Amino acid sequence: MKMKKLLSLALVATMAMSTLAACGGKTESTSNDVAPVESVSDETGAETADSNPFEEHVTLRWYLDGNSVTNDSAVMEAINKYLNEKINADLEIIWGTWGDFDDNSLLAINSGDPVDIYFTCSWTKAEYNTYAKKGAWLRLDDPDNNILKEYGSDVWNILPQVLKDGAVTDGNDGKGVYAIPGYKDFGTQNTWDVNVTLLKELGYTLEDIESRDFFTFGDILAAAKAAKGDNFYPLVIEGAVLERMVTNSIIVNGDSTGALSYYLDPSDVSKDIGSKVVNKFATEEYKKFAEKVHEYYELGYIDPALANGATANDTLVAQQNSAQYLIGTQSYALGYEYTTSAARGIEVAYVPCTSPYVDKTAAQGAMMAISATSENPERAMAFLNLLNTDPYLMQLVAYGVEGIHYQVADNGLLIREEKDADGNVVTNYHEEYTPWRNGLGNITLLTPTVDEGEGFFTDKFIPYYTSARAIPAFGYSFDGTGLDTELAAVTSVQSTYALPLDCGAADVDEVLPKMLAELEAAGIDKIVAAANEQLDAYFASK
Amino acid sequence: MAEIALNQKRRRINAVSIPAEVAINIVMILFCALCIVPFILVIIISFSAEDSIRAIGYSFLPQAWSVAAYEYAFKLGDALWRSYFNSFYITVLGTILSLIVYILYSYALSRKDFKYRNLFTFINFFVMLFGGGLVPTYCVTKQLLGLSDSYWAIIIPMLLNPFNVIVLRTFFQSSVPDELIEAASIDGSGEYNTLFKIVVPVAKPGIATIGLLTAIAYWNEWFIPKLYISASDKLHVPLQYLLMKMQADAEYIAKNSAAMGAEAGMAMMNLPTQSLRMVLVVLVVFPIACAYPFFQRYIISGLTIGSVKG
Repeated sequence: MKMKKLLSLALVATMAMSTLAACGGKTESTSNDVAPVESVSDETGAETADSNPFEEHVTLRWYLDGNSVTNDSAVMEAINKYLNEKINADLEIIWGTWGDFDDNSLLAINSGDPVDIYFTCSWTKAEYNTYAKKGAWLRLDDPDNNILKEYGSDVWNILPQVLKDGAVTDGNDGKGVYAIPGYKDFGTQNTWDVNVTLLKELGYTLEDIESRDFFTFGDILAAAKAAKGDNFYPLVIEGAVLERMVTNSIIVNGDSTGALSYYLDPSDVSKDIGSKVVNKFATEEYKKFAEKVHEYYELGYIDPALANGATANDTLVAQQNSAQYLIGTQSYALGYEYTTSAARGIEVAYVPCTSPYVDKTAAQGAMMAISATSENPERAMAFLNLLNTDPYLMQLVAYGVEGIHYQVADNGLLIREEKDADGNVVTNYHEEYTPWRNGLGNITLLTPTVDEGEGFFTDKFIPYYTSARAIPAFGYSFDGTGLDTELAAVTSVQSTYALPLDCGAADVDEVLPKMLAELEAAGIDKIVAAANEQLDAYFASK
Repeated sequence: MAEIALNQKRRRINAVSIPAEVAINIVMILFCALCIVPFILVIIISFSAEDSIRAIGYSFLPQAWSVAAYEYAFKLGDALWRSYFNSFYITVLGTILSLIVYILYSYALSRKDFKYRNLFTFINFFVMLFGGGLVPTYCVTKQLLGLSDSYWAIIIPMLLNPFNVIVLRTFFQSSVPDELIEAASIDGSGEYNTLFKIVVPVAKPGIATIGLLTAIAYWNEWFIPKLYISASDKLHVPLQYLLMKMQADAEYIAKNSAAMGAEAGMAMMNLPTQSLRMVLVVLVVFPIACAYPFFQRYIISGLTIGSVKG
């Protein structure tokens, strides 16, 4: 008996120990909290900051998102050879994919995996602002240990001001910079995706689209429907994007419910029109939009599969790729028309609804944060500095090794795939090595590809994106702390009704009042009030 | 003649009335159809031309047939066959190891003369109710045991399912009489000899059932590989995870398309087609569907665990 008791006691003790100490004291084992290991970084910082800070050879581990890489040996060899010379370090890249990045990077952060640099941004689960607050990232411009100034000044100096402003967040070490933003397509511009080939067939021109808006597309859509038959749906839309395009509203940074909106002046996106954060479904604009889209839906302009969450995405992609549409919705990136025209075998044009604007979500679209558990934060910063200022290294990481993963044309541009006369890919050089280029950092260093054309980055990309202006409430971010119950309830209501309403499948007179009543019961007013209080405080502090 | 007549008559003794039999058969046939039809649809979609899917969606009668998706899948070549091999390897090795663990653990628990029986039953029961949670499990597996990018990282975390231990223990208790074990020991059989030569053969149906459950679990597992097989490791990816990865990529981009903006569209263009995804489903299901008939007779006897014995 005694033995048994002793054994059970021992068992309980071991279990308690293992649950609490499984991570070697690096992190707390409770769900999402992260305990940074400040002591580690301080110690190594002091050691390596002597005469030659990079005397000791180290290995940096870098966690990326969205890649399709099956064989990186040639690239890694070249990268490491170069990095050994420059900063006496080896690099090891963890090639996260779209599907596994969210869960796996979160686990790696929470369990204190030995990773030095993480990809982070405004839309992954390990969201930049949230995890800066939780202490997962090292503050780069810490007044006591300003590694950004010491090792990263080059990259910081070349970044556009709006990206620098966007990188400032309220982290666990105070308001500051916790990640290096990537110089990629950071402007947002919602456009009508127009199948010009079909449009011309119908006897219209692009001006007919430009001179109309969503509410007056009716005759063109009717003509398309009449010409192409019953199984053809001229409007191929992503509900939420369409709603924002038509009502000139934008996503509220930090809003997880999808029920909040902030309005812009479409002709001057940076003008303060005194907009407040509102419950978008309760506005007149929304009602007007929903009624119109319902009308189009009833007329058979929109595929019912687009109003069903399970099929919406596959249908959207299939119809776009097979050019089975007339007008679609698209969040635009520079040069996108060339890519899609080639892929779809038609002439595609994008007709903008507003000029490009920058909100915090887009400014934080792709960033590199140094992990709080990194043992070599200085080296990691030096690496990021080099990566974002050295065209050779950036090209190597983004496109691979010359002669293997791309060829160089006579005019110096890059050939990543050989195409036949019809535009079909015959040889794909980068099949084994396709990282997500825009998630890497400063892509303006790259040599343009043949498809992009000469001077793409210097003559088109940089002017276009530097002309994008920040929205009035740029630095504002909604903080939902303390409203967890309301947020969850509102999200649940939103996810039930929003898609059918946005795509016109739901009868507005019947569903919208029901939804509004449920939103009210879920506590939307409390969220809107809190958001506006924060917005006012933001404007007051500006 | 007389025998046949007798047989017919005998069959009627237990038979239900003809209308009831018809009704029951119809219900059962409908139920079977409900189970099989979705799979048939998957097979048809995998053979449908992509244009047909775009035009009329999923249909039992596509406008055009095509083996393009299969051609593409087989062109995946190494990655696909490697995954196939991995799945078989993990399933076979994992099931064997896991059965050894189950048999040893459950047999000990089934013996009333085992001194620490209650304690070990309690441990088993305790972890069934209280798990450590994801993060500690991850820490133990990856950092303490150093398991990542290897077959062991998939096999070891799934080696033991406490529920199966309880099932197998009950099976041992109910199907292996104590007298048999006593008789064996009187005849001079050692503990291991008794277990493997006498108890295991008697308990074969139970072990086969647990074996099948374990094999299916190993075959279908994708979450553990997702955690411990890093994206750049191409050698240890099982088939089911390969499929999940494609699915997850598509869902992820769809979910984040608002915030990703134009990125989403570009990323979306590189995803595999719908018929290709269905091809992978067929490839995943096929082997396990083939294995079922061989296990069936054991499963049926296994299902009667705990039923009254005559």
